[in-house]
Amino acid sequence: MARGMVLDPTATRNEDVASPGPDAGVLIGKRIGFRVDRMWRAWDWISEAWADRLRAAGASVSFWRSGGRSGEEGLRMDRELAEFLKTIDVAIVGLANCGSCTSWTVRDAITAARAGLPTTAVATANFETFAHEIARRGGRSGLRVHVLPYPLNERVRDDVTAIGESHFYPLLETMGARLAARNDAA
Amino acid sequence: MTIELIKPGAGRIAPAPRPLIRRDCGPAGCEVDWLASRRHEADLDVDAFTAFALESGWGDGLPLVPPTDTRVRAFLAKNDRYPDEVIACFPPMQTECTVEKIAINAVMAGAQPESLELLIAALTSIADPDFELYGVNTTTAPVYPAFVVNGPIRSEQGIPFGYGCLGGVATRAAAIGRAIRLILRNVAGQVPGVTSQTTFGSPGRIAGVVTGEWEERSPWAPLAERRGVAGNAVTSFGAMGTLNVIDTTSHRARDFLEMIGKSLAYPGCNGFSGAVPFAEMLVAINPICAEIVGREMPDLEDVQQCLWQFASVDASQLQSLHRDQLEQQGRIRADGRIYLTPEPKDMLVFVCGGLGGLHATGFHSFGTSLAQTRAIASPIPADPAGERAR
Repeated sequence: MARGMVLDPTATRNEDVASPGPDAGVLIGKRIGFRVDRMWRAWDWISEAWADRLRAAGASVSFWRSGGRSGEEGLRMDRELAEFLKTIDVAIVGLANCGSCTSWTVRDAITAARAGLPTTAVATANFETFAHEIARRGGRSGLRVHVLPYPLNERVRDDVTAIGESHFYPLLETMGARLAARNDAA
Repeated sequence: MTIELIKPGAGRIAPAPRPLIRRDCGPAGCEVDWLASRRHEADLDVDAFTAFALESGWGDGLPLVPPTDTRVRAFLAKNDRYPDEVIACFPPMQTECTVEKIAINAVMAGAQPESLELLIAALTSIADPDFELYGVNTTTAPVYPAFVVNGPIRSEQGIPFGYGCLGGVATRAAAIGRAIRLILRNVAGQVPGVTSQTTFGSPGRIAGVVTGEWEERSPWAPLAERRGVAGNAVTSFGAMGTLNVIDTTSHRARDFLEMIGKSLAYPGCNGFSGAVPFAEMLVAINPICAEIVGREMPDLEDVQQCLWQFASVDASQLQSLHRDQLEQQGRIRADGRIYLTPEPKDMLVFVCGGLGGLHATGFHSFGTSLAQTRAIASPIPADPAGERAR
């Protein structure tokens, strides 16, 4: 059979930031921003539980809710996100718990990371690999991703809140964060 | 919260291909005609190449035509574009899609050189930020871009609009659709289980849907013209699949539209999901039904209004968890109903299909992916002095 040369049909992207970005560091006095969505009530419950813990540790907390990403609403989302990122010191971005919501979680997390903020994306276990893949293809392979169990949204609130509580310190580890009082005491 | 209305994102930077060029720099070709893609040595037998392409991650499982220099150059030589022209950047890879990459994938799919401008118009349409290809390419949903072609190009390129036009009739449209699918795989990087989380996928993700509108049998203006583009044009729609509606009983326009509208309104479609802020709906009406409806409703807005009214569900029929979420989002209206699309204008209608009639087809939307319409450029007429042939 004849052999010959064929042209490669693929396109590749070369640039990448493999660094996870800056650690969140000591959280006391810092402004922590949660990116939430309109899909996952479990993420609302967990982010609220984490927010309570962060406030108790001396941080301030704010939320931004992502909506539709096309049309005028999409433009409004872009503007709101840009403004939100100016008001915070640390970003926690979720929830990567489906295909499109993982891609948009990672995309918004990359936007935050590119703004220089210590940033952590939050994914459920079934979407962990995908989140890293999308981050790599988005040019930020080092993006921090904290992983919650899956399924999550299918559980009742008490179970979800308990999961959130059990993941609080592991989250801080992913973020490179410290609660000042705990570490000072140590 | 209140109902989000669908408004195009004016001011977004949408890709705009450059005007066509006349390449008259001589028989040896222009310097910019050099093809930049990496070369791979391969067996050029179709079976062997198909196996090689699958192994390399380029294939869709069907036989592929080896994209040799000769074939790709021949494809480009019949067109008026430089191969290094960037047509769009596609997520999730955010890589540049050049004319060269389109030509290579089109050759592999078996598409004809004459299809290049249709391919470019289709690809630029889905690259518009309002199409939300980022979500479309990565979602767990089975969504894929479906394309409706208007204008004389339908006949010139054999785009079907009669019997079996959405799939099954043997035309060149299948290769055009397949070329787009290969570009989404090889350039955009959409790979199931890797960058696409699609749970089931869809038959529409193999060769897509590329259909014409049977404009000559439609009582209304062509779809693209109603969307601001007359003549040769393509409209893309993020379709979740096709839903068939049969009606062997109705006589009057309103009765047909009631059957179609009610059939579109099933609770589990994205348009009724609390996770999706809004959705459009694309409806294909067969020519026989269109004639009956058009006699009573010559104004398409009346058709859209009627379809919209019936494409709704009574909120009390939903489970409380779902209803509560939609209520919090302000999507239950004063009449206690939830409507599939925010407004009647979001019910997009076109005419196609065989003369057996009886059926309508609904294309439910992914949600935030908004339909886009683009003009298809016409090739530059041959130079009478034979300038291009030299």
